Amino acid sequence: MNAPTPALVAARPDRLRLVGQRRQTLAIMHQRLMFGMLVYAGIIAVVVLRLLWLAAFGDHAGRKTTVTTSAPERGDIVDRNGQPLARTIDAWTIAVHPPKIIGNKLDLARKLAVLMPERDEAGWLQLLRSNKNFVFLRRRAAPSLVETVNALGEPGMALSREPDRLYPQTDLGAHVLGFTDIDGHGAAGMERAFDKRLTDPATRGQPLVLSISAPVQQALEHELLQAKTTFSAIGAAGIVMDIHTGEILAMTSLPQLNPNIAGNMDPEARFNRATLGVWELGSTFKPFTVAMAMDEGKVKSMGQIYNCPRQLHAFGRTINDTHPFGRACTVAEIMQESSNIGTAQIAAQTGAEAQKRFLRGMGFLDPIAIELKEKGRTLTPGNDWSGLATMTVGYGHGIAVTPLHLATGYATLFNGGIYRPATLLKVGREHAVPQGRRVFSDATSYKMRALLRLVVTEGTGGKADAPGYRVGGKTGTAEKLIGGRYSKNVVVTSFAGVFPMDEPRYAMVVMLDEPKATAETHGWRTAGWNAAPTFGRVVSRIAPMLGVRPDLKREPNMAEVLPFIRKED
Amino acid sequence: MSARSFRSVGWVAGVAATALGCYMVNLKVASERAALEDVETRIVLAERDIRLLQTEIGTRGRLAQLEKWNVKVLALSAPAANQFMDGSFQLATLMAPQKVPDPAAPVVLASAAVPERQPVLASDGPSVAPQGTATAASLLHTASLKRETVPAPVAAAPQLVAKKAGKPRSSVQPEKAVAAPAKPVKVAAKPAIKPASDLPTKAGSKPAKTAVKAKPPSPKPVKTAAAPAKPVAKAKAKTQEAQAKQ
Repeated sequence: MNAPTPALVAARPDRLRLVGQRRQTLAIMHQRLMFGMLVYAGIIAVVVLRLLWLAAFGDHAGRKTTVTTSAPERGDIVDRNGQPLARTIDAWTIAVHPPKIIGNKLDLARKLAVLMPERDEAGWLQLLRSNKNFVFLRRRAAPSLVETVNALGEPGMALSREPDRLYPQTDLGAHVLGFTDIDGHGAAGMERAFDKRLTDPATRGQPLVLSISAPVQQALEHELLQAKTTFSAIGAAGIVMDIHTGEILAMTSLPQLNPNIAGNMDPEARFNRATLGVWELGSTFKPFTVAMAMDEGKVKSMGQIYNCPRQLHAFGRTINDTHPFGRACTVAEIMQESSNIGTAQIAAQTGAEAQKRFLRGMGFLDPIAIELKEKGRTLTPGNDWSGLATMTVGYGHGIAVTPLHLATGYATLFNGGIYRPATLLKVGREHAVPQGRRVFSDATSYKMRALLRLVVTEGTGGKADAPGYRVGGKTGTAEKLIGGRYSKNVVVTSFAGVFPMDEPRYAMVVMLDEPKATAETHGWRTAGWNAAPTFGRVVSRIAPMLGVRPDLKREPNMAEVLPFIRKED
Repeated sequence: MSARSFRSVGWVAGVAATALGCYMVNLKVASERAALEDVETRIVLAERDIRLLQTEIGTRGRLAQLEKWNVKVLALSAPAANQFMDGSFQLATLMAPQKVPDPAAPVVLASAAVPERQPVLASDGPSVAPQGTATAASLLHTASLKRETVPAPVAAAPQLVAKKAGKPRSSVQPEKAVAAPAKPVKVAAKPAIKPASDLPTKAGSKPAKTAVKAKPPSPKPVKTAAAPAKPVAKAKAKTQEAQAKQ
C-alpha cells in the first residue's frame, strides 16, 4: 500500500525494514486477538454445552439424595422359611453435647434423672458440666423417651437415628446367628462368618437364608431348657440335622444368649457348646465301633459272640460295665446294654489303624466343618494311639469331640455311609449339596438301623421313644474330667439318634452338661434318665413339622437283631 | 420495505419463541421427573415402614412368646401317633352313623320265607303265611323283680304266633299287596338285601297265585312283590304292638 515503488524512489533499506516490522506487529496482534477470541469462544462453548448437557441429562435442584433404596445397611438373616432372624432397623439414639447446653444444667440434670434413672441427679449434673464434647446417653431408645427428651427443648441434646441390629426372635438360635459389635460388624456366629456378605452393598439387599427352621429350633430350645432346669444342668446343647444334605435344622446351646444385649451377657452364655465345646461323649461312640468292625469284616453278624466277663483287664487297666453280663454275649446284647467290655473287644479287633481311618473319614480328627468360626479343636490320643487308646476310643473315652461332630457322624452312618460336611446355609440353587465321601458301606449303614432301634425298644434308651416315629439311638454317659481325673459324680449325658429308623431322615443329638439326679429318676443321672426322655419329647414335637408321619405299624427289620438277645427273666 | 426491515425482528421473535418452547418442554420434563422421583421416594419410605411394622409384629409375636402363652394358658401339645389319619377314607369312617338297634324293627331271619304249601284241594283254603314276622319288641324279655309277671310275655309270644298262624289269611291282605306294588318300589331296595337269593321268586309267586293268577312270575314283580311283604309285616307288627300293649 504505502510501500514506495522502487521505480520512483530509491530504495531505502531502513524504511523498508520499518514497514516490514509494522506488518509483522500487526500480524502478531491479529494472531493474539484471534487466539483470545477463540479462548473466550471455547470457554463459552464449554459453558453452553455443559448447560445443555445438564438440561438434557442433569439432576435438578429438588433432587433428594437421602432415600434412594430400601436395602438395609446390613443384610437380613432369615430362616429356611423366610422368617427374619436378624434385621437392621433405624433406632433412635440420644446423645448430649455438654458445651452446647444453653439452659440451666441443674434443671436439665433433674429432668434427665427422672427420664433415665441409670444415673442420679448428681451424676447427670457431673456429666453435663464435664468438658466432654459429645456423650452417648442411650442407644436404641424407645420412641416415647425420645419424644420426651425432644420436648425438653434443649439444643444441646442430640437426637439421631442410626442403624441398629435387631434380633426379633431374641434367644432363638442365638449361637447360630451370633451378634454384632458396637460398630455393626459381626462378632460371633453367622454375623461374623458372613460379615462381608452382609455388609457388601452388592449382596446385602438379598437376605442370608439359613438352613435353620425357626419352629424346630424353638421346640428344641424349649425342651432342652426344660430338661436343663429339671435336672439342674449347668448347660446343654442340641442339634437337629438333615442326614442327606447335612443341613442343620436347629442348633442350640444353653445357657441362653440374647444377642440383642450380647455385650451384657455372661461369657458362659456366649460359649457355643454345640460347636466350640469338646466333650468325651461316651457310649454314643459305640455304634461307630460296631459299624467299623462290620465294614472291616470283623463282625459278620449281630449274633457274633464275645466273652463278656464282669471286668476286663487290658493293658494294665480294668474296664467296667454298669450292667455286667458275666457270660458270653452277642453284638446285639452289647449294644442293647451298652457294654464297655464288649465294645472294647470289638474295637481291639478292628485295630487302631482302621479306627483312625474311619474317624478321619467322619471328620472326627479335624475341627468341625461348618461355616461358623467358633470351632472346637478335637482332643484325640494323637501319636499315642495305643491298644488301650483304641479300646477306650471304642466306647467314647479318650477322645473329645463337639456335639456337632457326633451329629455329623450319625448322619454319615445312617445316610448310607457318605460323609457330608454340616452346613448352616439352606441347600438350594445357590448352595448345592456337596458330593461327600464314602466312609461306611451301604450294607453296614442298613444293618445299623435295627441295632440302634433295638437300643430304644429293648435297651437303655427306652425313654427316648416317641411312639410311631421309630426313634433309634444310643445313650451316652461320660464322666467329666476334672483336674485330670474322672469324676464319679459329674457327668455329661447325651443321646444321639436318628428318626424314622426304617428310612432315616433326621439325626439329632441332645447333650446335658452335669445333670443332677432327681426323685423322678430314682437317683440316676445316666443318659437314659435325662437325655433320652428329652430326645423323645423333642422328636414327638418336631417330627410332624418335618413331615415325618407317625406310624405304629412300621419298624426297621428287627429280625436282624431280635434273635440274638436273651430276655432276662 | 417494511417487510424487509421487520425481517430481523421476525427472526429474533422466532428464535426467542423456539428457545422458549424448548425451555418449556425442558421444564415440563424436569417437573415430571421430579414427580416420579417423589413417588419413588414415597415407595421406598412405605417399604421402610412396612419393614418396620413387620419387624415389630414379628418381635411381639416371637416364637418364645407364643411358647410362653402355650405353656401358661393353652397347654397344647404335639399330636400323638394315633391322632394321624391314613387318609380321607379313615376320616370318613369316623363320621359313619352308629348302628342303633331298633326294638320295633321286624326280626328278619335268614330263612324268613317258608315255602308255601300248595293247596292240594280247593277246600284246603288259602296258604299259611310264613312265620318270622314277629318284632324284636315281642321277643324282648324285660328283666323284672315281679315274679308273677315273668311268665306273661312268654305265654303271650306263642299266643301271637298261634293267632297269626290260626288267623285265616283273608283275601284283603293280598289285595292290599297287589294294590300296593307301584308305590313302594323304592322301599323294595331295603328288604331286597335281607332275603336269600331264592326268596324274591317265592315271594313273587305268592301274589301271582292268590290275586293275579294269569300273571307268571317275572323279574319285574320280583321287586314289587318283595315290597308288599314289608307293609304286611309292618301292619302285623303294629297289631302285635297294640296287642302287647293291651
